[in-house]
Amino acid sequence: MTYLFDPDNWEWLWTGNNFRFLFEGFLVNLQIAAIAIVFSLIFGLMLALLRISNRRLISFPAGIWVDVWRNLPLIFIILYLALAVPDAWRQAYSDAIPDFFPEALQDELVLGALLGLVLYNSAVLCEIMRSGILSLDRGQREAAASLGLTYFQQMRFVVLPQGLRRMVPATVSQLITLNKDTTLVSIIAIQEVVRHGSSVTGAGFFGGVQAPILQVFIVIGLMFVVVNLALSRLSRRLEIRERRRTGTTMKPVEGLEDQVALQTDTT
Amino acid sequence: MSELWEVLTEHLPEFSSGLWVTFRLVAIAFVVAMVVGTLIAALRVAPVRWLNRIGGVYVETFRNLPLLVLLFIAFAGLRRAGVPISPWVAGTASLGLYTAAYIAEALRSGVFAVGRGQIDAALSLGLSYPKTMRRIILPQAFRTVIPALGSLVIAMIKNSAIVGASLVALPDLLKETRQVQAETAQPDEVYFWGAVGYLLLTVTATIAFRYLERRFAIRR
Repeated sequence: MTYLFDPDNWEWLWTGNNFRFLFEGFLVNLQIAAIAIVFSLIFGLMLALLRISNRRLISFPAGIWVDVWRNLPLIFIILYLALAVPDAWRQAYSDAIPDFFPEALQDELVLGALLGLVLYNSAVLCEIMRSGILSLDRGQREAAASLGLTYFQQMRFVVLPQGLRRMVPATVSQLITLNKDTTLVSIIAIQEVVRHGSSVTGAGFFGGVQAPILQVFIVIGLMFVVVNLALSRLSRRLEIRERRRTGTTMKPVEGLEDQVALQTDTT
Repeated sequence: MSELWEVLTEHLPEFSSGLWVTFRLVAIAFVVAMVVGTLIAALRVAPVRWLNRIGGVYVETFRNLPLLVLLFIAFAGLRRAGVPISPWVAGTASLGLYTAAYIAEALRSGVFAVGRGQIDAALSLGLSYPKTMRRIILPQAFRTVIPALGSLVIAMIKNSAIVGASLVALPDLLKETRQVQAETAQPDEVYFWGAVGYLLLTVTATIAFRYLERRFAIRR
């Protein structure tokens, strides 16, 4: 305890650029998370639509695909992709990424990390969305069909707005998990907050103060706690307002995070 | 195709020892997570305000903290601070404490599902609060949250790879896979078998918990 709160061990925080350096690393994590979230949501929805298809020829392979990716450790997927992504793709990635993106994202390695995050999270989000859609009463879709709506219209105007709204809490907790998982890309040497943290603890860094590992990583952890708490508070507030507005009867899955949120009965 | 089998037959000892380390890591961490998670859940539903607070702070902290950062704190951080913690203790404790937050939340919802009425009934029969929890509420709560516990075990199997990736001295399935890949330089074949190892564990856990659910679960 005395070690933890000893002012000497916190001196690094206000010395030189240490804190700014950590914070810049953290911004890289947030950017990686933002890109991965957009693509995971898009692909997750596409996979969910494939999985609920009535044609087994479509739903079966989609099911296998999803079950394989979501049952593998994300770090395992990222490490494999770091080895297996063809050079041509990396080249295409570094050509395609706009110049105004931060330097850390220009790194060719980021492609493997992003692919891994999207492959894994789109599979998990697919399951969340699918269970939201399936929790909807069959009658909704039958009624829509009997009104003469096409498949696309049924999905767009009847099934998805209701089904996805029910799964907002589970989706948000998965996105928080995704945000935490961006630290894993440090293992393939992308310069983000964990890497920056390790540099700060090296001897003779900014200001010549060698930062203690314990305190540095407590600060990093606090950054994540603050952002993730803000995210979940925001989503809870939106959810309450939305429920008041639409009167949807949703069994709260609040507080059940990660995979737990998938399992709760949402009917 | 033959290369695929060759990789397995030549490196079976590495893969199986990695699988065994991952299994033990998850098993020990699960025990830690269940014990701590139950305690935190009991704090969360206790009739005392400040006990609720403590439970709430625990859950919000560990749920929002990346496991990798927790591992840095628990191993490298404590070691630099002069605590001679072993990789096994740091790994299982981190994974266990991290998962405990999720288990606590699952159990809390299980306790609420049991219902206020049963708590009131037990208390009015003269049982103390801890006794009410232990004898009446928690046994039922556990049975309600079996499916949630199942998916948490699967999440633990996957998260154990993070432990293996960050602690040098813990040769789990991920580390053995990377080791074999470094020797053979055949990423596709080696990672295929690593994936089979992880899928073996997760599919087994799925089947086991589906059985437990059929056998013990209370449907609400």
